[in-house]
Amino acid sequence: MKTILEISNLKKSYKGIVALNNINLSINAGEIHGIVGANGAGKTTLMNILFGNPIIHETGGYQGEIIYQGKTISFKNCKEAIDNGIGMVHQEFALIPDMTVGENIKLGREKTFAFTDRLFGRQFSFIDRKHNDESARQTLKQLGISLDPGIKIFDLSINLRQFVEIAREIDRNNLKLLILDEPTAVLNKNDALKFIEILRGMSKRDIGILFISHRLEEVQNICDRVSVLRDGKLVAQYERGEFSINTLARDMIGHIVTKAAAAKRKIPPRPIISFKHFAVEMPGEEIKDLDLSVYEGEIIGLTSLSGHGKLALGYGMMGIYPIRGEVCYADIKLLKMDAKENILQGIYVLPDDRQDLGILADQSVENNIIFTGNQIKNMFRKKSLLPFSGFIDHSQSRKHVDKMIQDFDIKCTSLNQKVKELSGGNQQKVCIARALTVDPRLLFVAEPTRGVDISAKEKILHMLLEINRSRNTTIVIASSELEELKRICDRIAVMVEGRIFKILSPDASDEDFGLALSGEGGVEHEKF
Amino acid sequence: MRNFNIKPPQIIISLFLITLVFLAYALEMNLVILFNESLVKLVMNGVLVLSLIPMLNVGAGMNFGLPVGIIGGLLGMCLAVNFRMTGLYGFFAALLFSLVICAVLGWIYGLILNRVKGREEIAGTFIGFSFIPLMNFFWTLAPFQNREMLYPIGGQGLRPRISLENYFNNILNNLYVIRLGDIEIPLGLIGFFALIALFLYWYFKTKIGRATIAVGENEAFSKLSGINIAQTRLLAIMISTIIAGWGICVYAQSYGFIQLYDEPLSMAFPAISAILIGGSTGKKAFIFEAVLGTYLLQSMYLFTVPIANAILIPELTEILRSFITYGIILYALLVRERRRNMV
Repeated sequence: MKTILEISNLKKSYKGIVALNNINLSINAGEIHGIVGANGAGKTTLMNILFGNPIIHETGGYQGEIIYQGKTISFKNCKEAIDNGIGMVHQEFALIPDMTVGENIKLGREKTFAFTDRLFGRQFSFIDRKHNDESARQTLKQLGISLDPGIKIFDLSINLRQFVEIAREIDRNNLKLLILDEPTAVLNKNDALKFIEILRGMSKRDIGILFISHRLEEVQNICDRVSVLRDGKLVAQYERGEFSINTLARDMIGHIVTKAAAAKRKIPPRPIISFKHFAVEMPGEEIKDLDLSVYEGEIIGLTSLSGHGKLALGYGMMGIYPIRGEVCYADIKLLKMDAKENILQGIYVLPDDRQDLGILADQSVENNIIFTGNQIKNMFRKKSLLPFSGFIDHSQSRKHVDKMIQDFDIKCTSLNQKVKELSGGNQQKVCIARALTVDPRLLFVAEPTRGVDISAKEKILHMLLEINRSRNTTIVIASSELEELKRICDRIAVMVEGRIFKILSPDASDEDFGLALSGEGGVEHEKF
Repeated sequence: MRNFNIKPPQIIISLFLITLVFLAYALEMNLVILFNESLVKLVMNGVLVLSLIPMLNVGAGMNFGLPVGIIGGLLGMCLAVNFRMTGLYGFFAALLFSLVICAVLGWIYGLILNRVKGREEIAGTFIGFSFIPLMNFFWTLAPFQNREMLYPIGGQGLRPRISLENYFNNILNNLYVIRLGDIEIPLGLIGFFALIALFLYWYFKTKIGRATIAVGENEAFSKLSGINIAQTRLLAIMISTIIAGWGICVYAQSYGFIQLYDEPLSMAFPAISAILIGGSTGKKAFIFEAVLGTYLLQSMYLFTVPIANAILIPELTEILRSFITYGIILYALLVRERRRNMV
């Protein structure tokens, strides 16, 4: 079999953070090559390099060699990649919703009238619509769907859009290598099967396919070879039949020495908050149907692959995105999510997007820590006879902030230093200190250790444990750092496609977590 | 608390101003009189500039809809003149009327701006543009009774320029003037200005004021912290509008005329220019920046007139004025865009 793509010693780092390290990979013509890996394993970076995404060049290019059809390549933009016969189907649709199916499939390759070609030049020529639509219809037929090419994209269902996107790629005569990024993520089971049939058909036409997916079952079904990425390294490669779903899951997560930071304990199942058919319409992180009870005094972890909804819960609680369903907090039904009301009730949310949502970058450490407490709970208020004055009692607030800075080891020159001058870890500590100031009963934290160096990471995890143990604050941590969750959580809920897929004990094996994250292994669905 | 860094526009204007002072000295002009006048000019325009601060800090951008507040102030003054209220009493009545009118106008203005979040500046411009013809209609038809305000012939509709000669012309300018030799310091005028500045200082120290700044800096953060965004913005916009109304009252008593019809349209740009020269980024502003900017810009205007008349063609002053006023706004927009791209 002919090798069409040969990657050797590929390395890529973003600002010193290694995204890909020494990747060696080859793809043969007519082969379906699967790539699996958890979040941040380097899948997207690999694709971006192959498809010539300009972001790679802007961030300093890559090291290593990519040989494609016998030539060394280094694409500077996507057009070069397309001209060389590489196609890509994106996870988010790269279709123009206001144009018809036919126009989208033929975009950039339209058949034009020869006469106007000569008259105005190719760029300004009239398009032969009839011919294009007919050709698009043929392409769609190859995929086994009959669809009127005159329909506009925004009238189509998500499933059909995925098919249109793939039709656009196979419509190209020169297609040699097709990259698929989580192509079946939006498809239902039946459509996914159909889709896989199409892929098999394509591979018979000697097109190499790079299939990136986290549905391990599919990968097992259709891939001729599978490569597993973890933390930017290629950790395993299997031929068809050599692997099982379980081996893939284990390789994805890797063996981790779990430092037991938190002693095991028994939490009485007394719910402080329970969700029934709860849904949050957060674009890209939608929660579809969540049923979960959080017990008073526990630390519960919430994990999922990105886009499966773990981050949306906190935002939903603060009324940032529209919600549906039922929430019962401390035996009272919450009818509408109002941030002020919820903070007064003892619910506080620390967002994952620290820079944009978590801090007032231009203001001092002191202001950041006391802001919410002062605004909502009227803390640190100077006593005054005048109405509406509401000045801050600085002696009181400084004492509090100084204590926080000392307790949590926040590294700053003084409490007047601007927060934007602090490191990410210290900013996160400021956020947690702010949450502590309002003294919540229930705290939602999202990605508390993202973008934080290792020593600060330990400190932050320790802070969360400390808050939980000393104040009996219930904490819900949404994070993709499984290892950290295992260390501090009492229970870990794994979400798949906006639903709770399984609730595992932190002692569960990496294999179990890997399977659960991919939505595989229908072991008895725990009812909770 | 904040390190003040000097930016190109301030350097250019300051250098220009120093050159002008030297020129004026060389041309044997009376520098003391010019200085006296510069103080009057500062307050005359300064209140309008101060009025921009709450809106800038709540994140509603530069208030190109300044005519809304100005019209409220004009209406307040017209009412006072119509009831033949004179002197200090008349002036404070005008302030009171315009306070009420501007509060209502500001509330409506704020409701509109809350619906066009992120594009307040362009929306404000067009709210101003569309409000003025509507008010032109009103000025001609409103049943005002005082003959001194009406067109002399026909006796209906307000004049474009209503003289305040018999009412409260220069009432603040002449209040408690201290004379040190030739130097005249109008304490009443400056005191009024200082009171408004003090009010703003106090406002930003209160709880709602701190929330205002937080909303301007990071709206999503404030929302997560349980701040009522719409209400905070509405209040800031109302305060801006009310101070703008008072600003035109101060301006008119100093100028001696109430200028109606299309006149308010041209008031927004010099005010915005001034605060930008003072060092505001067009995202955030402090009282000091407003005062500094107004003083630099207005003194420059003041000096160019006699000097250009003496050594250059007279029309040049007007050309320079427009160029600097609009050029500075363009500069600020460019700088802001560059910053956005850097982030």
